[in-house]
Amino acid sequence: MKKIILSLAVVLVSLVSMAQKPEYYQAMGESLGQYATCQSVADFQALGNKFQMIAAAEKSEWLPLYYHAQCYILMSFMEQDVTKKDGYLDVAEKSVTSLLEMVPAESEVSVLQAFYLVGRLVVNPMERGQEYSGLSGQALGKALALDATNPRAQLLQLQMDMGSAQYTGQDPKSFCPKAKELLANWDNFKPKSPIHPNWGKDQAEVVVKGCE
Amino acid sequence: MPGANAYLQGTYDGASSGENGEFKFRTSKTGQQTLLVEFMGYEPFSLKVELKGDTIRLNVKLKEAFNELNAVTITAGTFEASDKKQAVTITPIDMVTTAGAVGDVYGALQSLPGTTVNGESGRLFVKGGDSEESQTYIDGSLVSVPYNSSAPNLATRGRFNPFMFKGTIFSTGGYSAEYGQALSSVLLLNTNDMPVEDQLDLSVLSVGAEVAGTKLWKNGAVTGTLSYNNLAPYMSLTPQNYDWGKYPESVTGAVSVRQKTSKTGMFKFYSNFDNGSFTLSQQNPDAGGTPTDYKLDNGNQFVNASWNDKLGEKWAVSTATSFTNNTDDIQFEQTTVAEQIQGTHLKSVFSYPFSEKFILKMGGELFSKKFSQNVQMPNEKHDNSFTNNTFAGFTEAQIYASTKFVTRVGGRVEYSDYLNSFTVSPRFSAAYKITDKSQFSAAYGWFYQNPVDDYLLYTDLLKPERADHYTFSFQSSVNSRTIRVELYYKDYKDLVKFTGGEFYLPTSYNNSGKGYAKGLDLFWRDKKTIKNGDYWISYSYLDTKRDYRNFPEEAIPTFASKHNFSMVYKHWFGNLRSLAGANFRYSSPRVFNDPNSPVFNGEKMLAYRSLDLSWSFLYRQHVIIYGAVTNVLDFKNEFGQRYSNNPDANGNFQGTAIQPGSNQFYVLGCFITLTRKGNANQLDKIE
Repeated sequence: MKKIILSLAVVLVSLVSMAQKPEYYQAMGESLGQYATCQSVADFQALGNKFQMIAAAEKSEWLPLYYHAQCYILMSFMEQDVTKKDGYLDVAEKSVTSLLEMVPAESEVSVLQAFYLVGRLVVNPMERGQEYSGLSGQALGKALALDATNPRAQLLQLQMDMGSAQYTGQDPKSFCPKAKELLANWDNFKPKSPIHPNWGKDQAEVVVKGCE
Repeated sequence: MPGANAYLQGTYDGASSGENGEFKFRTSKTGQQTLLVEFMGYEPFSLKVELKGDTIRLNVKLKEAFNELNAVTITAGTFEASDKKQAVTITPIDMVTTAGAVGDVYGALQSLPGTTVNGESGRLFVKGGDSEESQTYIDGSLVSVPYNSSAPNLATRGRFNPFMFKGTIFSTGGYSAEYGQALSSVLLLNTNDMPVEDQLDLSVLSVGAEVAGTKLWKNGAVTGTLSYNNLAPYMSLTPQNYDWGKYPESVTGAVSVRQKTSKTGMFKFYSNFDNGSFTLSQQNPDAGGTPTDYKLDNGNQFVNASWNDKLGEKWAVSTATSFTNNTDDIQFEQTTVAEQIQGTHLKSVFSYPFSEKFILKMGGELFSKKFSQNVQMPNEKHDNSFTNNTFAGFTEAQIYASTKFVTRVGGRVEYSDYLNSFTVSPRFSAAYKITDKSQFSAAYGWFYQNPVDDYLLYTDLLKPERADHYTFSFQSSVNSRTIRVELYYKDYKDLVKFTGGEFYLPTSYNNSGKGYAKGLDLFWRDKKTIKNGDYWISYSYLDTKRDYRNFPEEAIPTFASKHNFSMVYKHWFGNLRSLAGANFRYSSPRVFNDPNSPVFNGEKMLAYRSLDLSWSFLYRQHVIIYGAVTNVLDFKNEFGQRYSNNPDANGNFQGTAIQPGSNQFYVLGCFITLTRKGNANQLDKIE
């Protein structure tokens, strides 16, 4: 019962705010719709540009900055030229830093921070491995402490655990029951609004598929 | 320029530029609006436009933003190791994983060009300079006694664990006005910042064991380390070239504290003590080759504190201080020597950016050193000591004409109260980026250093020694491959000469010595060609002569070798979870002096050759197993001869070969890191 009231309240609040800023919600909705069509670094840059524009227009909203940073982190993963990766992450870092100041208690922001730190790590795992795996673990720990049910935090944690298992002689498949449980419960987590972070289910499916 | 973001400020109307750099968009807005065009690495462009419903055509040119990180840096003479810069030549992790270094900071540096391996010393010899001409700084303050105490002609190691450091700058010449009291090189070591989590590190090696614990609190952390080394089990099992009455043994403890003092400020404190002892038995040419014991007890305490912060929006300040107390008690034959060094260093640096392109730095420092020596022989006794305070001030401006061209102009003044001498050292360097990936760099400067302690004990009539550096270098980094070519010339002046006469008389020394060193350094690093492999090759050509100390004439000093070659290879075997390393080093024969020969420094020792291997195996995420062997091919290395002080009955000086302590060195170790991993209840970490 409590849950229903709570989710009703969330829907109500978001409806009210949507009604207040129709242009913002429309622009965000359109931009989020473009994620599916992004296939290259340039695509993500163009999308990141949109979010930056929205962020500049809506200085009190954190979601545009969130997606702006996410676009640049994804760009660094897609980029082949090693020297460019850090440049994209420098852009992402600025938005992540602003986000941590704007909404320090937002679990999704800590997940994004961890994701950004993983981006730094993969540029040069040999030299950055130790430092950045610790830092991203710390950010994830914070994300889970803020909201233990956040499926994106759980997913990233799982991916990191499975990744390090490969290097340390553990069987990555020992994490499979956890992965299945995560996927099964994925939809129980309700984003606060249609434009709040809601990604990761397809990645969780990939992880579970890899278990079979 | 594709990917630039063009939009009307405060609206949702905009577009990204396409592949040919064009953008267009429609807006329903009217009246005066601001058009913004932004792109990473460029200064944002803004223009007021009047929208009246018709099409506006614009030609926008973005100006490259000035960013110190992307701008040209002065690389002449400098090897910088940090993982933030793109054009790094070596990184902190290289210090640890270079085969042959076996965990010694200085050992790893000896695989870089400009250095000469001196197997009987282990210290740094840079570009034709003696080992005393190099200084080591930790977090900005001087380390007065950076090496362990050792017997004559026996290699030593650095006192500090390379894992302590996150970044290193090794400058082999032409360095900034911020650094003085070094004729040849400065090594700047920066300790790790805030640790990420509580942890316990255990290591067990074939030569000792260490335990270190780290505890975090809000904005701060403390690390305590205790280690014990005893070479007795190892040395009794492996062949040694010398007999040991007492195998080397040492106990070291350290405490390091880090505390954030504000959003931008960091305070670091490090303190350690180190007690070591050994008794070595070496053949004594003065006693007809019979073995003589050399007994040493060393005590070393070192304290270092530093603070960096911003004062207001622009001023940056860094203050550092260190204190060293080092005692050596030595006994050989009938002689006992007690030596004590007390060194204090205080330094403050302020920097102020007048603009992004003009940064002024200024500061002051004090080097204070008290050295005392007490020698007791059956019929003689000498007690000598001196205290020297050297005051210094410096200022330097870094001026960027563009991201492509930078100059650094500075000067330094020093005054020594003991020598009553005043020096002025101009410094100048510049760098020009020819392309995105290549640059030229040049440096020039005068460098002064007080004469070595052994002379200052007896005289205060000397001036500081001087070296002028001319360095010219080219560096190019493309796609994880780096090449560096450096040419240099060093002009030594005012070197201390021993003029004969009694060693304890002040008048037996003057500053009439001089010399030169010139050479070519080559460095090639390639992380690309071999998958999972990484190698670098260093070659140095050195031509040097000097007339100093007790030299009767200008001659090649014993520490210099003409050709130095080093090749380091590392390979990551993913399926074995192992990092393997190999390092081959070659130094052409150095000279030594045979008192039986009329030619000074006319003899040649064997060339130095060594192939070193190392293997690190990641057993579990927190367990590393490490093994290393030096000189696997068992090359014979010998460092000349040690001669008797007095001739025998036939008028000949008897000699005995100087050998390394052992031909090979093996080490096996296990490193374990324990952390408290758990995410559930770490709410205290949330800020």
